Amino acid sequence: MMVVIAICVMVSLASGFYIFYLPGKLYLGPEKTRASYLRERKDAVYENLRDLNFEYKAGKMPDADYQSLKSSLQDEAATLLAEIARLESKDASTPGRAKA
Amino acid sequence: MAQIGSFALLLALALSVYSFLAGLIALFRQDEGSERLSETARRAGVATFAAVLLAAAALVFAAFQDDFRIAYIFHHSNRDLSAPYKFATLWSGQEGSLLFWSLLLSAYGFVLRLRYKTDPRLFAYASVILAAVQIFFLSLVNFAANPFGLLEGPARPDGSGLNPLLQYPEMVIHPPMLYLGYVGFTVPFAFALGALIMKYPGEKWIHITRRWTMVTWGFLTCGIFLGAHWAYSVLGWGGYWGWDPVENASLMPWLVGTAFLHSVMMQEKRGMLKVWNMWLVFATFWLSILGTFLTRSGIISSVHAFAQSSIGNWFAWFLAISFAVFVFFFFKNKSHLKSEHKLESLVSRESSFLFNNLLLLLACFTVLWGTWFPKISELVQGNKVTVGAPFYNKVNIPVALLLLLLTALGPLLAWRNTSLESLKRNFLWPTVGAIAVVIFLMITPESWGSVFGLKPWKDISYFYSLMAIALSALVTFTVASEFYRGGRVIQKHTGQSMFASMVQLTHRNTRRYGGYIVHFGVVVVVIGLAGAAFNQDKEQEMGYGDKMTIGSYTLICRSYTQEDNANYRSEWAVLDVYKGGKKIDTLTPERRFYHASRQASTMPYIRSTPSEDLYLVYEGLNDQTGKPILKAHLNPLVMWIWLGVWIILGGTILALVPNAPAQVRVTVPKLVEHAAPAVTGD
Repeated sequence: MMVVIAICVMVSLASGFYIFYLPGKLYLGPEKTRASYLRERKDAVYENLRDLNFEYKAGKMPDADYQSLKSSLQDEAATLLAEIARLESKDASTPGRAKA
Repeated sequence: MAQIGSFALLLALALSVYSFLAGLIALFRQDEGSERLSETARRAGVATFAAVLLAAAALVFAAFQDDFRIAYIFHHSNRDLSAPYKFATLWSGQEGSLLFWSLLLSAYGFVLRLRYKTDPRLFAYASVILAAVQIFFLSLVNFAANPFGLLEGPARPDGSGLNPLLQYPEMVIHPPMLYLGYVGFTVPFAFALGALIMKYPGEKWIHITRRWTMVTWGFLTCGIFLGAHWAYSVLGWGGYWGWDPVENASLMPWLVGTAFLHSVMMQEKRGMLKVWNMWLVFATFWLSILGTFLTRSGIISSVHAFAQSSIGNWFAWFLAISFAVFVFFFFKNKSHLKSEHKLESLVSRESSFLFNNLLLLLACFTVLWGTWFPKISELVQGNKVTVGAPFYNKVNIPVALLLLLLTALGPLLAWRNTSLESLKRNFLWPTVGAIAVVIFLMITPESWGSVFGLKPWKDISYFYSLMAIALSALVTFTVASEFYRGGRVIQKHTGQSMFASMVQLTHRNTRRYGGYIVHFGVVVVVIGLAGAAFNQDKEQEMGYGDKMTIGSYTLICRSYTQEDNANYRSEWAVLDVYKGGKKIDTLTPERRFYHASRQASTMPYIRSTPSEDLYLVYEGLNDQTGKPILKAHLNPLVMWIWLGVWIILGGTILALVPNAPAQVRVTVPKLVEHAAPAVTGD
């Protein structure tokens, strides 16, 4: 019985030590902003463009389809880039604001 | 061991409660100390895993020590049980399997909490939600189904033994696989709900959970088919799927999880279906718990459900609370889930995903309705009406055929819109190929075997089989054309062989091409299922030298033998198998009687070939004549089912491999001046 109690006490102490002993600085990671969200969307649109190019080269669609789909994806990317640029310039002009 | 196990379970519960409460307070208290509090919550979640592992280890140790003072060990083990089954005691009964569930959930939580640096804030939300689910399961094993409960009275010399039906190698791995699948869906749900609560900007939570979802789906697939294989190999009725409520319980989250795996691509690629995906991921999680509720509560009769117990109420409350919490946050933050694009055309990749989702949900609803129908009919009419295979097949076979059609069409359709010219380019040759397969199957002589010389007008099951094989051929040709066309582009650029180009192509986009291999695996499974239309069976008393003919096989009974060992007594028949007048094999179907549990079980002998399985069951002696009764089944193409599962799992593993970097440059025109906000989201 004493062995069992000793094991239970040891396990409890080890858990408490692991949970509450926090030396040093904690890792918090960057804050998610709209700009970082838009960059993710931009990457997704670029990936869609790459897929489209590849499918066109593979002969899966006629030229007219490709041009129309490509131009709508490019418009989407351009709109995203414009907003990212606007947010970045706004960030740069606001002193002390951290860039995501 | 019982004291250590009980203590470890209590400690795990305390740690989970701390992880939940401290994590919750830290999320809503945005001050200096909240980060440190959040870190202690994360660490408590990590420590929960260690505590649950200690409890599980204590139970397994008690099984190996034959500690029959513990009621659970007494009821599910005995001294002469072999080591793998003693280990499997952990998940062989109600209490142990709930502990095992908690262990897997804490293991998933352990991995998640160690990877928190990917996005600490989102992970903190997911961690709190996981801790909440963990509290439920740990409360169950502490207060309602404790695996360390002790027997009253004097110590027992031996246990009552493991259920004979569970003493089969697959039962050692089938439950863990299934549970890994069930439990695993908690992770994507936790991230999805966390993202909804915190109004997480963007789709990164999908990227984070993509691999979790695929791994979980792979485990669930593996678990379902291992269960089917176990049923086929042990139960002795010659089939692999009986639409039993417990089987259905595993199929429902699989169907909705499959829908989620597809529709989530629309959210990643085009920012669409955000509301739909949120509901799908919740439904998958919820159906996993509902399945467990069905199995544990005894509310619905099933051949392999656990005993009726009071824990059904716990599950019912948990299901209700989780539904209420999800609905509350969904309506509170619904505006965050606005779609970024609309469906532009009915002939597009998006709409094929949408139809695929609708069909999968229809199949799921059919299974749900059929499973609950006995209970519903009892409530409405006062008597239980059970629905069988004809009900499920009537809806699900046409649905499965339409899904196969979409599996062929979807990958070849373009995002946004597909023109007629595009359709012609992509579908002409695969369609010609599929039609050629149909004609070939119809004009070949019937003597070639089951699926040859098919006359679809003779029986609806033949029509379905022909359609299944034709659509399988269509999917195979479209998958092959995807690999070929892609490989050709790379070959042109690199000058490599076609095979090397296809390997490179797959490595560039493992998710897509791994997915195609999964589709091909599904096709192989479907071909195996299509063989069921041509099943034959025959039952006969067989004395020494007696003959039985089934299909092209002749069986001659050579002898009967008996054997006794510490665990069971067995008797089996020895039969010579002849085909075309030539002896090709000797089969030994067996029947066992287990000493400890005083239960009998059959061990069918299955001679499996790619074209058909010869499945023999020794049913015991006829009381009146004293002659042994043998049942033979001839099941065409069953091997294809198991082969298809391996292909599905191979494709899933491939889809988990990271992509090789793409080398195609993208050009974007100049920025749009004074553009409106690009997309919705915060």
